Amino acid sequence: MFELLGHGLLTVLQWNYLVPLFAGTLIGVIGGALPGVTITMTIIVILPFTYGLDPLQGLAAMTGVYVGGSAGGLVTACLLGIPGTPSAIATTFDGFPMARGGAPGRAIWLGVWSSFFGGLLGGLFLILVTGPLAAIALQFGPWEYFSLFVLAMAMVAGLAESSFIKGLLSTAIGLLITVIGTDPIGSVPRFTFGSEFISGGFPFLPVLIGIFAFAQIMSDIEKARAPKTPEAVLTAQPSLGVSLGVSHLKVIGEILGRPFLLLWSTIVGILIGVLPAIGGSAANMLAYDQAKKLSRHPERFGTGIPEGIIASESSNNANVGGSLVTIMAFGIPGDAVTAVMLGAMTIHGIQSGPLFVSQQPTLAYGIYAAYILAHLLMVLILAAGALFMLQITRVRLAVLAPVVLVLCVIGAYALNNTMQSVYVLLIFGVFGYALVKCGFPLAPLILGLILGDQIEINLIRAIMTDDNPLLFFTRPISGALLLCAALSVALAVWQHMRHQARTAHEEAPEF
Amino acid sequence: MRLGRDSFAGLIFLAVSLILLVQSFGLPQLPLVPVGPGFYPRIVLIFMAVTSAALIVQDLLARRAEPADVPAPAQPQRAYGLVALAFVIVALYLVLLPLLGYRIATVLFVAALQATLERPTTWRQWVVLAAIAIGTSAVTYLVFERYLTVLLPRGSWTDW
Repeated sequence: MFELLGHGLLTVLQWNYLVPLFAGTLIGVIGGALPGVTITMTIIVILPFTYGLDPLQGLAAMTGVYVGGSAGGLVTACLLGIPGTPSAIATTFDGFPMARGGAPGRAIWLGVWSSFFGGLLGGLFLILVTGPLAAIALQFGPWEYFSLFVLAMAMVAGLAESSFIKGLLSTAIGLLITVIGTDPIGSVPRFTFGSEFISGGFPFLPVLIGIFAFAQIMSDIEKARAPKTPEAVLTAQPSLGVSLGVSHLKVIGEILGRPFLLLWSTIVGILIGVLPAIGGSAANMLAYDQAKKLSRHPERFGTGIPEGIIASESSNNANVGGSLVTIMAFGIPGDAVTAVMLGAMTIHGIQSGPLFVSQQPTLAYGIYAAYILAHLLMVLILAAGALFMLQITRVRLAVLAPVVLVLCVIGAYALNNTMQSVYVLLIFGVFGYALVKCGFPLAPLILGLILGDQIEINLIRAIMTDDNPLLFFTRPISGALLLCAALSVALAVWQHMRHQARTAHEEAPEF
Repeated sequence: MRLGRDSFAGLIFLAVSLILLVQSFGLPQLPLVPVGPGFYPRIVLIFMAVTSAALIVQDLLARRAEPADVPAPAQPQRAYGLVALAFVIVALYLVLLPLLGYRIATVLFVAALQATLERPTTWRQWVVLAAIAIGTSAVTYLVFERYLTVLLPRGSWTDW
């Protein structure tokens, strides 16, 4: 294993891999630092660049974006109090007060080094666990796969913040998109209404780009004429006078002097990463909450203490490792970012899943190596240009929006050099924006979209092998997974009802 | 009772799922496969119909529970007209792309969207806008077409 990792490191250290990795990490850090630009959007923007690269070059660039983006948000979070990405929301709670209290360098570097250590621990987990998990996944039959996918969707729909029912409906919409076109077993056209345009179904990546990138850009445009918030006014102010000088040994000592906090936040990040489609936004908030609950002085959280920054930043980078485990062992994306990576792998003809590590060891260990090196590059990039990032955050929406949209169009067009994919992009851009405006969560839709085909294929394969439907429940792993799915739904319903009851109680007049 | 936004969304998805559900019964049965091509879509569509109905019921119940004269909370200023215009500009770009070719259509698109989002007031701002539009088109063309061998659309009118 370590021999393969060493080989992977030597491969990625070659300039033709190092350049895409560095470029990806740099773009990720910048995308992460730009408020309103998510890591998903950043990875969508660099997607077309990966078409012309070899698979490892492309995946190295994407891994760089993912790692860099997870750390990039901390710069604006600490210095401006505006999280560059949702993954850095909790970093603002203590990072901004610390920076405002006269220690901006300490705040930034506590974040950077916490991201580094959290990320490396996540990487260790990625390297050690992917193989054994893939071996377990190899024991899976179609029943187990079907049940695993159902569990993934039940969890994501249940965790939808806005509404549990909207989460389920969003999942159903994602699944419905996958059944339009030809059926995967007999190639019978379904719901095409005789149209050539949709006879082959909707290609996954243009749908994803449309739903995510367009919806995000249009939401930003929507707020373009709104009066400036105090934070936005602050962003427009010069910041070159700020000094980020700090003793790195002291900062590293501060982090490593709290081993339990670092380890626990990392574990939270990894676990959130392993759970499908939740992502870094939940990881940093949950780790911060855990750190506060386990602290001897919870009242000091939010006043600018190192614990808050360590918890948030170590967990969001560890989350990347967890997400990569899921995609590499099971072929299930951990979040929207890994969904794009999965799509990019498919373009290069690579099948992700339990056989991925054993059949493509060069690629798998190359990704591990890229992940580790991206953390080193991330530290170097932030050391060289943390203040420069603040200047970049002032790029106007009027410039950013058209450039991002052009890259989205190239990303869709270059998939198969036809305008059809670009039209699909626009259709789903409008649709995604409408869904966002109606309060539908997009993560369940994307998961339904990614897993729809696999669910159908495994369901039909299971029925073709044995037409006894009880096997889904009586096979131990399959049954356990379906039970977990049912419990997940029941828990979500219970939480929703409890929330309703509490709200009603709070609003009820007292007699 | 007035329907809310969620009820409207639920009704649309309910109608879509019911129409497609009816269609799914007309799909042909394959001889060697125990379940036909309509089997799985029917499960999805029933699931969608049930969740759509649940959304409508939830919205109606929530509206019934609401006191009648509660003033709506103040909404932040939203530029929906600008969003609609942006979508129209993107649509026009996609129409012009196969006619004018990537290079010309992209210059026009970037310039038009920039001007729509932030109208230049001085000649200097117009020059910057034009430079960004031409620069975006030229740089992306060179990077993708020349270095990454990604073929970009040629214009049927311009052959560019």
